[in-house]
Amino acid sequence: MKKKFPLFLVFAFGILGIIPFIVPHPIVQNIDESIRNDILKILVAFALVLGLGSLLKVHMDKIKRKRESWQYSWILIISFLVSSIIGLFGGVEGAGPLRTFIGSFHFDIQTLYENIFMPLGATMFALLAFYMASASYRAFRARSFEATLLLITAFIIMIGIIPLGEKISPHLPSFAQWIMTVPNVAGQRGILLGVALGIIATSLKIILGIERNWLGGGE
Amino acid sequence: MKFIERLTTIDRRIIYIILAIVVLIPLISRSPERVRVMLPVEKLYNAVDTIPEDKVLIIDFGYAPQDMPELEPMGFALLRHAFEKRIKVLALCLYVQPLGLAQKALTEVTEEFNSVAQTNADSIIYGRDYVFLGWQPPPLIPMLGMGISITNVYTADYYGNKTDTLPLMRDVKNYNDVALLVSLSAGSIPRHWIAYAQNRFGVAVAAGVTAVSAADFYQYYQTGQFTGLMAGMKGAAEYEELVETRLNIKESRKASEALPSLTYGHLVMIAFIIVGNIGYFMQRRRRK
Repeated sequence: MKKKFPLFLVFAFGILGIIPFIVPHPIVQNIDESIRNDILKILVAFALVLGLGSLLKVHMDKIKRKRESWQYSWILIISFLVSSIIGLFGGVEGAGPLRTFIGSFHFDIQTLYENIFMPLGATMFALLAFYMASASYRAFRARSFEATLLLITAFIIMIGIIPLGEKISPHLPSFAQWIMTVPNVAGQRGILLGVALGIIATSLKIILGIERNWLGGGE
Repeated sequence: MKFIERLTTIDRRIIYIILAIVVLIPLISRSPERVRVMLPVEKLYNAVDTIPEDKVLIIDFGYAPQDMPELEPMGFALLRHAFEKRIKVLALCLYVQPLGLAQKALTEVTEEFNSVAQTNADSIIYGRDYVFLGWQPPPLIPMLGMGISITNVYTADYYGNKTDTLPLMRDVKNYNDVALLVSLSAGSIPRHWIAYAQNRFGVAVAAGVTAVSAADFYQYYQTGQFTGLMAGMKGAAEYEELVETRLNIKESRKASEALPSLTYGHLVMIAFIIVGNIGYFMQRRRRK
């Protein structure tokens, strides 16, 4: 029963997920809509609460046991609580019942987002540009014919997509575009078809209960 | 020997400093670079431009702060275009991180238009000209659900208003009332819009993607599954160019202003790669 019930659920919902794409009958479509709008929404709400609870539990435990970098867990918990309270009771741009301003100083969820989350996110990603520059200088070597071809293509694309490319030759941006739409597409499409066939095969194996690794528990 | 060695072992801090300088200086001067508009962007512009009065444009704001420099200008340019042509807009997010950025784009572009509006008809009014539907997880629910009923999926908008009470939503039931859906994303979401919204309900889809992920999406453009495609900062600058030259909207052009930084950044990276390779070949020849 422990194994058969999950297998039955996967089979039933797997088939129910496929049928609406093939059968346009209103009964089938209504069942599909009801599964998505009612059951799936409830499941996601549970998963969200479960995920947040699990996150808090892990970090509380880390603080309790004073594991490595436990101090950062406090930052996470405090940030989580502050943003949750402001978001839930302050509303968007301070439209909720909680007062989210002191004089001209606002701390509503949008202000927090624009002044804390945005700069932090942008900074983290901006650092990547520096690592990429340094890594490409060290690793991008014309060691073989294939590597040389890659290097030349990269140069054409890099120059073709900047305004300088147009100034060097009006054909350069068009050539860069051609590389993206013809040779690139040819390669990408081959990979994608392979991946799609792999996904179909794996999905069918899971739905039909042939592939059971996801159940866990080893042998 | 020392010189050759130096060519292949430039300290990374020197690379960082040079890159920082060449990227920062053009950003201070803020002079927008003119670009030639390529076909994928022009097709998208024309698709938006020809949206009939009784249909809406859906914009999926799918970018987080890390994708902002490339994708935010696309969002701004699209909104300016739509608002100028009085095309009704539905904005939504499939993930929680972009919510604040979508809100920022909608607020700022609305303010741009309302600051020069003379009458109520000239103004951009929430609920009449655009609606921000907010976030509904997981992405599959809105993608498929909007094909049946948009207000059933989004019972309330981002601000908590009941969607079926908003004037715009009275005429917009499902994908049949949607002329085009533009997905601005740094991930794989645009291809899911094709798989679920286009294949099943026939809605026209276009995308704005980051330069690094653009290679994955050209195949959908080539087959016509994407009506148009904006790739990276250059794609955003091309759309800005069209909005300025064809609609005469002279607002700040963030992507076009950042293009000189991109140009010098690319040139510095190319220069370092060439220097590294010269050193590598000289070392190889010496060893032989």
